Amino acid sequence: MNDLAHSSAILGGRTTMTHDTRPAKMETKNLRFYYGDTLALKGITLALGDRKVTAFIGPSGCGKSTLLRVLNRIYDLYPNQRAEGEVLLDGRNILDRSQDLNLLRTRVGMVFQKPTPFPMSIYENIAFGVRLYERVSKAEMDNRVEEALRRAALWSEVKDKLNASGLSLSGGQQQRLCIARTVAVKPEVILLDEPASALDPISTSKIEELIDELKTEYTIVIVTHNMQQAARVSDHTAFMYLGELVEFGDTEQIFTAPRDKRTQDYITGRFG
Amino acid sequence: MASYSRRRTTNIVALSLAGAATFIGLFFLAAILVTLVVYGASAITPKIFLQNTPPPGSDGGLLNAIFGSVAMTVIAIVVATPIGILAGTYLAEYSRGSKLGEVAKFINDILLSAPSIIIGLFIYTILVVPFGHFSAWAGAASLGLIALPVINRTTQDMLGLVPNALREAAAALGTPRWKTMTHVIYRAASSGILTGVLLAVARITGETAPLLFTALNNQFWSTDLSRPTANLPVVIFQFAMSPYEDWQRLAWGGALIITAAILVLNIAARFLSNIGASK
Repeated sequence: MNDLAHSSAILGGRTTMTHDTRPAKMETKNLRFYYGDTLALKGITLALGDRKVTAFIGPSGCGKSTLLRVLNRIYDLYPNQRAEGEVLLDGRNILDRSQDLNLLRTRVGMVFQKPTPFPMSIYENIAFGVRLYERVSKAEMDNRVEEALRRAALWSEVKDKLNASGLSLSGGQQQRLCIARTVAVKPEVILLDEPASALDPISTSKIEELIDELKTEYTIVIVTHNMQQAARVSDHTAFMYLGELVEFGDTEQIFTAPRDKRTQDYITGRFG
Repeated sequence: MASYSRRRTTNIVALSLAGAATFIGLFFLAAILVTLVVYGASAITPKIFLQNTPPPGSDGGLLNAIFGSVAMTVIAIVVATPIGILAGTYLAEYSRGSKLGEVAKFINDILLSAPSIIIGLFIYTILVVPFGHFSAWAGAASLGLIALPVINRTTQDMLGLVPNALREAAAALGTPRWKTMTHVIYRAASSGILTGVLLAVARITGETAPLLFTALNNQFWSTDLSRPTANLPVVIFQFAMSPYEDWQRLAWGGALIITAAILVLNIAARFLSNIGASK
């Protein structure tokens, strides 16, 4: 396990170190992804630090969301999408045929770009996921729901209307409900696919504060178009371009001293 | 400047044409409704709901026909709804990209627009001829066969309107697929699917042709569903064509009852889909 203590991504002969004291939570090794015959990820190798926030940045179509969608195999819902290579979660390859997808997704949760509350009450939105794999008493469920809503900084706003429809909330509240729902099932990794891109600045900063708090317990991966956001919330940043991982390293280094010309051009706003 | 005035002219012409088309459509609809109310209203008395169809020249109502219509519609919908919803679910959710699914969808769409008289003849050959007599069961079967593709198709459409994001969101929690369907997707599409069922009811309530070949008619009160059974559309057809004035009056009354029922169903369907949209 010690060689993982310094999780590394090897890129074209260069090695980018992430100075991490714990072994990587997830790793991809030479990951290739196809939409039908189109190669969308051209051999991605990177490691996600345990209880760290990793940001994927890059211009539209660079494959950052695709990469995120491999990590919980959500792409598997669509028949003509497939991944090759290895994706390790605690050292086990989740691309393996024997991997139970539902169990994988209870360990690797995901929050989407647009809020997706279920058409049921606020309480049920959270209880639904908990009930899937656990049998809990009513009192315990009440606690779980409250705890999840508190963690998502939503409790004070909804505690008096838990039976109202989840769809009656504002966009920012709905997104925090989705985060609460994801947290409630106690995953190990949380994937965030541009979680704030549809939200106003106040909701966005609430979500960013939330990420900061959640990383004490969860490994977090966030895809974002907003570079300030990546710089604010993440420990490590991966810059992707045209299906390749161009540069991966500590966020500070990526934003202050990028090694690759393309990274520099992107973060200074010359393209993308 | 020239192109601006041209655009204005085009706009005025298009708007007038659209307005005229709307007016023509509404005019005939209003004319039909007004005629129905004028001639039918006088026939709507308590008697029409309490007495059976009379011989010419004597007092009577439409009780047996109303009962027959309701019974056959209920049986048809009770059978067609689960089959239609399940088939629509399969075609919308599970058969994606498969040849069987595409063919089944295509055939369902043909069935959707099949002339109802053909369906009546089909049921006539398989459920009337072999048993030697007309029956409410055969009538219900032909109505069910007309309702089935409507329910199937609306279910497909309504499930298609549920965003994939919701399916992904449920899957991302580790929800098994069947549970995603029953607990999340059906719930999101429920008002739309129910609207489809109500529209199917409205559609079969006024069907006459298939019933002529299947349930036929019955002068008397009968709750035996394996006997020929009175129903509103066929009674209207028979009474309206008759030379007797009291029969003709009952036919107007029956027509008004059917129209009012369809109107109520359509309003209910619209109301439900509005609830769905605001949910």
